Amino acid sequence: MIAFLSFAIVVLLFTVLVLTAKAGEVATELNDGNRNYVNQSRINGYLLLAFLVLMFAGSAYAFKWLMPVMLPKAASIHGLKTDFLFNVTMIIILVVAVLTQVALFYFAYRYNESRVKEAYFYAHNNTLEIVWTIIPTIVLTGLISMGMYEWFSIFNKDSRDPKMLVIEATGKQFNWMLRYSGKDGKFGERIIDTAHVTPTNELGINWNDPKSHDDFMSDKLYLVKDRPTLMKLGAQDVIHSFYLPHFRVKMDCVPGTPTEFYFTPTMTTEEMRQYLSTQPWWQGVSPETGQPRWQTFKYELACAELCGKSHFGMEREVIVVTQKEYDEWLNKQTSLYDATVKPAVTKEETPAPAAADSTKAGDKKATAMLIKK
Amino acid sequence: MQTSHSVEHAGADTDHIHGHEEHHHEETFLTKYIFSQDHKMISKQFLITGMFWGVVGGLLSVLFRLQLGFPNETFPFLESFLGKWAEGGKISQEFYYALITMHGTILVFFVLTGGLSGTFANLLIPYQIGARDMASPFINMLSYWFFFSAGCVMLFSFFIQTGPASGGWTAYPPLNGLRNTGVNLGSGLGFDMWALGMSLFIVSSLLAALNYVTTVLNLRTKGMTMMRLPLTVWALMFTAIVGILSFPALLAGVVLLEFDRLLDTSFYLNNIIINGQLLGYKGGSPILFEHLFWFLGHPEVYIIILPAFGIVSEVLAVHSRKPIFGYKAMVISLISILILSFIVWAHHMFVTGLNPNLGAIFTLFTLLIAIPSAIKVFNWIGTIWRGKIRLTAAALFGIGFVSMFISGGLTGIILGNSSIDIQLHDTMFVVAHFHIVMGIAAFFGMFAGVYHWFPRLYGRYMNETLGQIHFYVTLIGAYCIFFPMHFMTGLPRRYYSYTNFESFNNFNNLAAFMSIVSIIVFLAQILFVVNFFYSIFKGRKLEGEYANPWDSNSLEWTAPVERIHGNWSGDIPEVHRWPYDYSTNGRAFTPQTEPLKTGEKAH
Repeated sequence: MIAFLSFAIVVLLFTVLVLTAKAGEVATELNDGNRNYVNQSRINGYLLLAFLVLMFAGSAYAFKWLMPVMLPKAASIHGLKTDFLFNVTMIIILVVAVLTQVALFYFAYRYNESRVKEAYFYAHNNTLEIVWTIIPTIVLTGLISMGMYEWFSIFNKDSRDPKMLVIEATGKQFNWMLRYSGKDGKFGERIIDTAHVTPTNELGINWNDPKSHDDFMSDKLYLVKDRPTLMKLGAQDVIHSFYLPHFRVKMDCVPGTPTEFYFTPTMTTEEMRQYLSTQPWWQGVSPETGQPRWQTFKYELACAELCGKSHFGMEREVIVVTQKEYDEWLNKQTSLYDATVKPAVTKEETPAPAAADSTKAGDKKATAMLIKK
Repeated sequence: MQTSHSVEHAGADTDHIHGHEEHHHEETFLTKYIFSQDHKMISKQFLITGMFWGVVGGLLSVLFRLQLGFPNETFPFLESFLGKWAEGGKISQEFYYALITMHGTILVFFVLTGGLSGTFANLLIPYQIGARDMASPFINMLSYWFFFSAGCVMLFSFFIQTGPASGGWTAYPPLNGLRNTGVNLGSGLGFDMWALGMSLFIVSSLLAALNYVTTVLNLRTKGMTMMRLPLTVWALMFTAIVGILSFPALLAGVVLLEFDRLLDTSFYLNNIIINGQLLGYKGGSPILFEHLFWFLGHPEVYIIILPAFGIVSEVLAVHSRKPIFGYKAMVISLISILILSFIVWAHHMFVTGLNPNLGAIFTLFTLLIAIPSAIKVFNWIGTIWRGKIRLTAAALFGIGFVSMFISGGLTGIILGNSSIDIQLHDTMFVVAHFHIVMGIAAFFGMFAGVYHWFPRLYGRYMNETLGQIHFYVTLIGAYCIFFPMHFMTGLPRRYYSYTNFESFNNFNNLAAFMSIVSIIVFLAQILFVVNFFYSIFKGRKLEGEYANPWDSNSLEWTAPVERIHGNWSGDIPEVHRWPYDYSTNGRAFTPQTEPLKTGEKAH
């Protein structure tokens, strides 16, 4: 009913508008003849000037209310630098935007036909054109150099810390599989073939590789403050994108093509909460939880590449802790091998290590398939 | 060739036009309005088809904005229209993704490529270069009908059981590359129809573009040197060249994608694992498709914006009563943009795992594009400076275009810088950027063109008051929707809802505001459509047999108001000067057909 009513109102409004506008057109035609736009130009001149004012007022309002709601400051070393570059560029383009928009709308108002006797024939000015080509070129050269320098320092493999924490993240519809290398710091080998990839071993981990025996999966992404981290990224089914908004980290996870991202977190979750508790907007009470916003703050992992109907649901909590807390957490983890493969081995009592990887029901099926092939 | 043949009989005497038409042109309804080979009629066909698609594409955005703005509400009336796609009055996830996919596809290709280039290249190229018609009117007709059938295929895909394509307008595999694995509902028949529709569209676009380039290069009238072309013609010709060079890459990409889908080849697929089952694809790379797609995809945004550049240059000059400032610089900047547009595509792929060295090179070229773009903006502002601006709806949209192009173009400097793009890639900041710079801006260019050349198309004016209401609502509305979107910097795009994330769930009131404004802006576009069709039949008529409603110099206004086959009843006009002699020689304007006075220097 409401839908129908709104539709009727819109139709009515349109009819009134069209008829009024048509009447206005007929009236002008009777008064001024066909080609007189001076009155319109005068009115539109003022309206454009008003729009200019409105645009700046609106933008200022948006900055005031929306800036505090944006993501908080970067929590990684490179993120702070790219944010700085973002801010520098933003200031430059704001200056350019203000100058050009003011010129555009002011000239449109100032030189509308109701205020001017005659236009000034002015076809070109080489000096002026050279000047406004060279200035942007210089500014852009600066921005390009800064950007490239930053880009190469983010992706420079040679400068990586050998003691970095390596974590493997694999995207699939619609979840993240986060694998840690356990106490030995080394990942077990993965083999992508039908013998190893099974519904119970989606990553295709080779259980014959002893390095795999202490690897574990985690629901939450644990990172260590000030410890360089290398994310080894991949995907099972379609392209996903590993996105840590608070750390300014984003890299696509491509099926069949490994990618990686190297970064260093700078603030633990707790430190970020403490920092946010000093920010006015974050001190406000969240309508959902009824608590001050900073108390429920958490780092999150998201998917940033359209991957299907539940693309918007691939959330994982990210927790940044100190090295000490991390070690404690590490000690509490049960390895994937101990949790899934070992019980099966003990149960069937087949101690032969060579057959270890075929003891699981799924693996048997896969081996059978392989033989068939 | 038929066209020019029949027109030659018309002779020089204008009084005989009518007699001539009655004698020789026994056109049926079918040949005049449907399978017409007349560039003016084809232009109208493209325009009206484009407007249809514009309304459809806009409506889709209103639907998904309802979900984005009000994720917790239900709209029972939606279920009565959409059935299973909106059970309980809530748009389903599958349908939401189909909506955004088709919104992108329709607006990018069917409205802002087909509708914009198709309309204005067909209308303006022959008229402004002084030609009787396109080089090949028949191919021109074919181009429209390929466009039309492409549209039919796209439209029908809405009515199949699994719905239209829903893997994004960028069609990335494997999401769109796996046909029957259940990764995505729209990747079944829906995507096949998308691929077929796009292939037909590319055929249409290539036929049209070859025709445009040939016409501009070969059919210019006597005296019409390249440097005397109005900037519209330059821009439309460059658009066509970009299309010719880039669309084939997409066609190749889509055909190979269909091979993967239908014949189980592995061009783009490698080690795909679904529910723990390894599929048989080996050795392909999804990144290859991204390269092929963006090799068109990036030039595509220039295919969209170049015609708007041309239209706005012309409209601003005419309505300011001043020559375009820096004509040569404008042409050179168009050429630079044309060249650069081909070597920046990978800035869409900075974080796909591309070699970082490539990322740096593409940053360099991308930011270089800002230079010719800046020159154009300064020249437009220079054009209206000290003019005598007649602020009609056309001029207003021209000014609105420049404003939008500034706002949207500047954020491109941020996004084009690869290290900043790591954070911004695939977020709402990008959505804000490209909607302003190529969506709204291109629409403004198109509207400026429609209001300006409507008298040429139909012999009547569009209603100014309605046009101006349309302008202000659209200008303010578009800024209200897309300016605040820049603040949603970290929010990923293509999200059905943000409620799963603590970090992204803070903009709900803003999203609701944007949705309400988008409905208002949509209604303003309906007002434009009403004005358009109302004016075709009831608009104020142009006075006289030869009317030049805006006192313009270019050749299209030297032809009679009545749109006759072959454009000019007598000889085609001869050109003696450039098209921008406004407010000089003590005259308000001097048409291109007027010989230079003694002692006058040519531009």
